Amino acid sequence: MLKTFLNHQWIGFWRSRGQGTNIAVQIVMGLLILYLVLCAAAVGFFMDKMISAAFPQKDVFEVFNGLILYYFALEFLSRLQLQELPTLAVVPYLHLNIPKQKLVNFLNIRAMFSVFNFIPLFVFFPFCIIRISSHYGAFAAVMYLVSIMSLAIFNNYLALYVKRLSMASIRFVVAGFLLLVTLGLLEYFDIFSIAAISNLVFSRIAVFPAIGFLFTVFAVAVFFVNARFLRSNLYIEELSAGEEKKSSTDYPFLDRFGEVGALAALEIKLILRNKRSKSTASKGLIFLFYGLLLYKQSAIDKNQFGMMLFAALFMTGNLVLLYGQFMFGWQSAEFDGILSNKISIRNFIKAKLLLFNLSSTVLTIIVSLYGFLSWKILMVQFAAYFYSLGIAPILVIYMATRNYKAIDLSKGSSFNFQGVGATSMLMSLPIFLIPYLFYVPFNYLANPYWGFIALGIAGLAGFFTQDFWVGFLVKEFNKRKYKIAEGFRER
Amino acid sequence: MLEIKNLKKTYGGRTVVNIPELRINAGETIGLVGNNGAGKTTLFRMLLDLIRPDQGEILSMNKNVAHTDEWKDYTASFLDEGFLIDYLTPEEYFVFVGSLHGMNQAHVKEYLTRYVEFFNAEILNSGKYIRDFSKGNQNKIGIAAALMQNPQLLILDEPFANLDPTTQIRLKTLLKNLRITHSVTTFISSHDLNHVTDVCDRIILLEKGIVIKDIRTTENTLKELETYFAE
Repeated sequence: MLKTFLNHQWIGFWRSRGQGTNIAVQIVMGLLILYLVLCAAAVGFFMDKMISAAFPQKDVFEVFNGLILYYFALEFLSRLQLQELPTLAVVPYLHLNIPKQKLVNFLNIRAMFSVFNFIPLFVFFPFCIIRISSHYGAFAAVMYLVSIMSLAIFNNYLALYVKRLSMASIRFVVAGFLLLVTLGLLEYFDIFSIAAISNLVFSRIAVFPAIGFLFTVFAVAVFFVNARFLRSNLYIEELSAGEEKKSSTDYPFLDRFGEVGALAALEIKLILRNKRSKSTASKGLIFLFYGLLLYKQSAIDKNQFGMMLFAALFMTGNLVLLYGQFMFGWQSAEFDGILSNKISIRNFIKAKLLLFNLSSTVLTIIVSLYGFLSWKILMVQFAAYFYSLGIAPILVIYMATRNYKAIDLSKGSSFNFQGVGATSMLMSLPIFLIPYLFYVPFNYLANPYWGFIALGIAGLAGFFTQDFWVGFLVKEFNKRKYKIAEGFRER
Repeated sequence: MLEIKNLKKTYGGRTVVNIPELRINAGETIGLVGNNGAGKTTLFRMLLDLIRPDQGEILSMNKNVAHTDEWKDYTASFLDEGFLIDYLTPEEYFVFVGSLHGMNQAHVKEYLTRYVEFFNAEILNSGKYIRDFSKGNQNKIGIAAALMQNPQLLILDEPFANLDPTTQIRLKTLLKNLRITHSVTTFISSHDLNHVTDVCDRIILLEKGIVIKDIRTTENTLKELETYFAE
């Protein structure tokens, strides 16, 4: 029976809409997964080198031991956000002659098939096998593996359990994230340390390996708590996350824009109230940390702005890029209604520009905090901001008029390739390349500052001639609206 | 009101709609009947400029619907759930649609009080998004939103489907009244011959995209249609 279930899931995965039809998308998806696995494996294999490079004065084992619990704390939060509850898979079987226990077993086993459960294998196992076994002996290494595996399973079922109790609202995750940052800071100032606890626990395991089974006990306990909860709550209503009362919302701020504002408000609701759009937009917030990675003091000092421009473009325009990529597919479900209602296409497009411009402005204000590092960063970011204001949205909407793929809003966005087509995959290229067309020549002919001035002026020029571009986009839209509507009806 | 000339649409070599000429006068209530695949929805979509005809044109008040947007000022429609914005609450949806026709929130509220009976206390203040309603209730929301626009031309695709018996009867009364009080031109399709013959004063029967019958409703019409479909 279990095999039949898993087989159905497997078939369902391959036959799901959007998948199996587009080979290119599957290849890209495969490569992406491979890339992730390789990254994890690389981190695993070079763990000791990375540790000694980052903390040269500290003991490698101490840092490694300290890392483990941190990793799983972070992982737990990401699981809450990203991991899907596999419960809906069971609905078509509920009314058939199948014992409930079997369904529960299936759900529990199904839950193991998650990327999250495999990444720790790649990240931690190489170090355990190479370093721990040679230093503390094979048994200790095995117990490390057992503990880490147990922690992953513990996290797996705990996250699902918490989600089932429907406590996993965004607020919960944000709070958890803040807690983790606080712990990190406390750690930094030597006040309190998770790493020390983690180190304490795992250095014990290194000496008395059998302690590792404690984690296994925890994992098994959570597994049973989760299974019992499922067993007594296997009803369609209770399987999905909690139903709170929905209320109507207004965005008075947008009222001043008339119909354009009303349409923009509509789109904000779309983003906030649907799973896929919400996770796409919130993913953008993670990219705000790009600056930490790519704004290097050495590059700033030497005026090497290439990579910094990339980061700035991504941060100031991330809604344009990530959300705009699938436009107008987000609205595929109600597209017929939009066309036949008394909505002027001009305002429809203007509303999107308004939304993009507002988001870029807010994002730019946030990332201006990076300006504390150097005034040069502000310059790069404002050039990128003007581009995201004036040029990028127009490009994105132009490409949207050539995208005929509907988006299913009810699924999460991670590893979701439904509705991904050639246009949406290729579109980010020109959007990233065009700024360099302005920047690079001036950079070589004069200096980088002129490059940014050119980029900024071009962006502002686009912004102030927006009306003209809207007219152009309306024409493009009208040329292909039947085709777009037809594509969106094929869901 | 509406004039169809030489209208043709084919999908993969199969003619779905083929109407050389059809005129619809202001104030008529027309019922479109026909089996599945007769081309009813395709015709409606072309009327609403959602599908491009392969040939011919549709004039609404003498203007081609594909060339101007003017028809949107006086046309309201509900074909399927694709017309609803499913992540809004019904109230938000009504306010949004109302705002497109210059109605403010108070107007919309006032209007909705007239439909309390039609909604049967299930739609308003329910604390749900439209996507969480049953099909029948979604249907009601769509119909009410269309009526709210105070149209001169009303297009509804199978409005009686999924509705409970009480609401079906209420909807019939509503449509009949609209003709009398506002002389609205109504174009509806239905599989329920009883309902269409009851509500409509003219019946158009489509088969494989071709108009087979175009008759004024009399007391014999229901019989006539039943014999036709029984064959």
